[in-house]
Amino acid sequence: MLSRRQFLQTSSVISLSPALPCVFTKTAYAAGSEQDAKSLVVIQLDGGNDGLNTVVPFGDDEYGRSRKRLRLQAEKLHKLDDHVGLHPSMRAAKELFDDGRLSIVQGVGYPNPDRSHFRSMKIWQTASFDDADHDGYGWLGRTLDTKAPSTVDTPGAIYVGDQETPVALWGRRSQATALSREEDLRLLLSPAFRQEQTLEPDASLSSFVSRQTLSAVAASEEFERQQTRATRASSGYPNTGLGTRLNLISQLLKSGSQSRVYYTAQSGYDTHSAQLYTHSRLLREFSEALSAFLKDLKSAGLDDRAVVLAFSEFGRRVKENDSQGTDHGTAGPVFLAGAPVAGGLFGAAPDLSDLDDGDIRTQVDFRQVYSTLLTDWLGADAATVLAGAHDNLPLLRQS
Amino acid sequence: MAAVSHSAWEPYTPDGDAPWNLQRVVHLHRRAAFAAPWDVLQGDLADGPQAAVDRLIQGDKSPAFESMAKTIGDAAMASGSPGRLKAWWVYRMLMSPDPLGERLTLMWHNHFATSNRKVQDLVLMREQNDLLREHARAPFSKLLTAVVKHPAMLVWLDADSNRKGHPNENLARELMELFTLGVGNYSEQDVKGAARALTGWTIAGGQFAFREARHDAGEVELLGDRGPLTGDDLLERLLKHPATAERLAWRICQTLLGEEVTPQAALDELADGIAAHQLNIGWAVETVLRSHLFFSNENLRSRVSGPMEYVIGVLRALELRSPPPSTLVLAEWAHRMGQDLFYPPNVGGWNEGRTWLATRTVVARANFADALVAGRLWRPARELEPDALIRRHSQSDKLASRVTWLAKLLWGECPEDTTAPVVKAARSAEAPLSRALALLLASPENSLA
Repeated sequence: MLSRRQFLQTSSVISLSPALPCVFTKTAYAAGSEQDAKSLVVIQLDGGNDGLNTVVPFGDDEYGRSRKRLRLQAEKLHKLDDHVGLHPSMRAAKELFDDGRLSIVQGVGYPNPDRSHFRSMKIWQTASFDDADHDGYGWLGRTLDTKAPSTVDTPGAIYVGDQETPVALWGRRSQATALSREEDLRLLLSPAFRQEQTLEPDASLSSFVSRQTLSAVAASEEFERQQTRATRASSGYPNTGLGTRLNLISQLLKSGSQSRVYYTAQSGYDTHSAQLYTHSRLLREFSEALSAFLKDLKSAGLDDRAVVLAFSEFGRRVKENDSQGTDHGTAGPVFLAGAPVAGGLFGAAPDLSDLDDGDIRTQVDFRQVYSTLLTDWLGADAATVLAGAHDNLPLLRQS
Repeated sequence: MAAVSHSAWEPYTPDGDAPWNLQRVVHLHRRAAFAAPWDVLQGDLADGPQAAVDRLIQGDKSPAFESMAKTIGDAAMASGSPGRLKAWWVYRMLMSPDPLGERLTLMWHNHFATSNRKVQDLVLMREQNDLLREHARAPFSKLLTAVVKHPAMLVWLDADSNRKGHPNENLARELMELFTLGVGNYSEQDVKGAARALTGWTIAGGQFAFREARHDAGEVELLGDRGPLTGDDLLERLLKHPATAERLAWRICQTLLGEEVTPQAALDELADGIAAHQLNIGWAVETVLRSHLFFSNENLRSRVSGPMEYVIGVLRALELRSPPPSTLVLAEWAHRMGQDLFYPPNVGGWNEGRTWLATRTVVARANFADALVAGRLWRPARELEPDALIRRHSQSDKLASRVTWLAKLLWGECPEDTTAPVVKAARSAEAPLSRALALLLASPENSLA
């Protein structure tokens, strides 16, 4: 028997299973917890990222010809090889690249590209080209369906953001939880407890309810501690929407969350006009938030547990428009980041002298990236989830 | 369990082991009707179980309430705001003179879990909800037919994509797995057969329509039979299958009885009874509510209250319905607790039971208690006067005995080891009674009913 005070004092020291009463977990006493579970963190770049000005083929003469006003100077790029370089504001991403923690897949798309934000995003999220499936189940929801028993009480996926939970996370049985505010994890009223609380893993309902409440108190306090610590150490997250959301995801991971998938978005990539400044700001925010997130996980010893995937629904036209912007295009780069990735550039840089009606040709099907993550990271049957087999890519470090 | 000699469903008659006391009255209301205020509890206590259950089963009708609810519902439709659709139903649960009807509507919303995420039509969602309510106590055939052939369900489960030669199994599968037979009672072959039977079902002019040309009139194999099959034939076949009665028995017991309270033999017996009564839900609900098992000691406080039961129950018990809180705000709180009305997590609905209590949702319950006591459920916020409520029903001025009274109102009993720390923690607060009330509402005990 322990009192509540003792429970809270000891909970951060003694090794319960998992280590702490967890945010978003069943209970501190949950059987079969996956403390070492691998997590996937998805960052959706909303609006159609201009891939050509992200991973810039400065070595292609056509680049300068197509991008008269939007052309980025070769000498300001962070060169990845003698042909392509990252946007000047992506210094943080370049550091990750040099460190072997960033894989960049070039020319990712799908056959018969759709230029509607809405439909193309649904295609990416459901990995299906059938409109009838587009409000059904997403690729990650289906992934979790293959893993989750029917009565899990930990959500398989957590969406962090203010929008509707993306269809990518909807499954037939698996559950996704949305979290928009960290206040959702902050207790305004700490419940009063019985003086003595049985801590044996007693199966009775009343003991379960008490434990869950204690767990929530402890998790909430732990969460507050993480926050204070994070503020004090000024962890380097940029003070931006994406920075805040990745910070929240990192706190969930650090508090022992058992969810496998975390999903968030950065919006604003629909740069039809005056794109230079906006795009630069977005890529800086993206790179810095990503870098801070990985650094944060590393210092918590969790960096081998998470892989980040960043994608956009399409790239943009090669030729700039007359408003110093770009219109909806097709294939673009996809990023994979984290300690477990192989690092480096995959796929050839787009050949701007060989376009398909003014658009970059797709070289890699996005489902190959998904298939790779499913097989090599999440340990799911890719052919089932994606309704067909796709060639995997060497994007992850083989252990 | 040993005391149950013949049937778990024998009517309850109070005895020394299971007396008709305040705890059982509270139990009845929290399970079947969200919860009830003190005067109702006292009336039922005086009149006995027969009359108490009668009143719930019959439910009151109030034209004034229906008219107000309709106004709110119409305004929600006009606004196009899903939040206001949720608020409409929350208003019904909070104010309806037939709380059992609303409770059963909630049960069916979970059984036929349909999400506006995909349907994207408030009018259809409201219509479906009204069907669930209208047939909440009806023979299941009426409910099933009405709901499955309503456009909300047809959209939700892709009926229109299911055409001769191009089957979409979505509706067929969920119809068998979730709405009728339950998993293990059909094969994949049956799903294929059922999907073919359902071809031709679609929506035209906002209503169910059958398109002969899209219907696959060929021979279909289904549950051991062979022959041409229409969608209506399929429903009839599924309704006659014994597994459907079993699934209904399970659903009703999951809703009204506690965790691990119903032995398999009792479930089977209830299923037989349901089959013998032409799947009459009203009969089954009444049988359960009047039963020995329902009022048995092991069934007391053995169930985790769901978010809507928790939110509505507290407000009904504490007589906080006049002026009513913002039902928009209440719907948001229920969402934070894990139950977003009209947006169930998936086609299987909410898992209920222990799964209601994850960290985030427990935090939400405690924070709801805080918001309630601070008056933040009302727009504009109001000062809450728990004092007045207690003075209406109890004489004492002492904090400890007032806490005891509140515990009895909420739980029908007053576990000393729960209230003592509450009193202790509240005594030094600025407003001790409000603080104590919040602590009681946030306590683990309050999540059980």
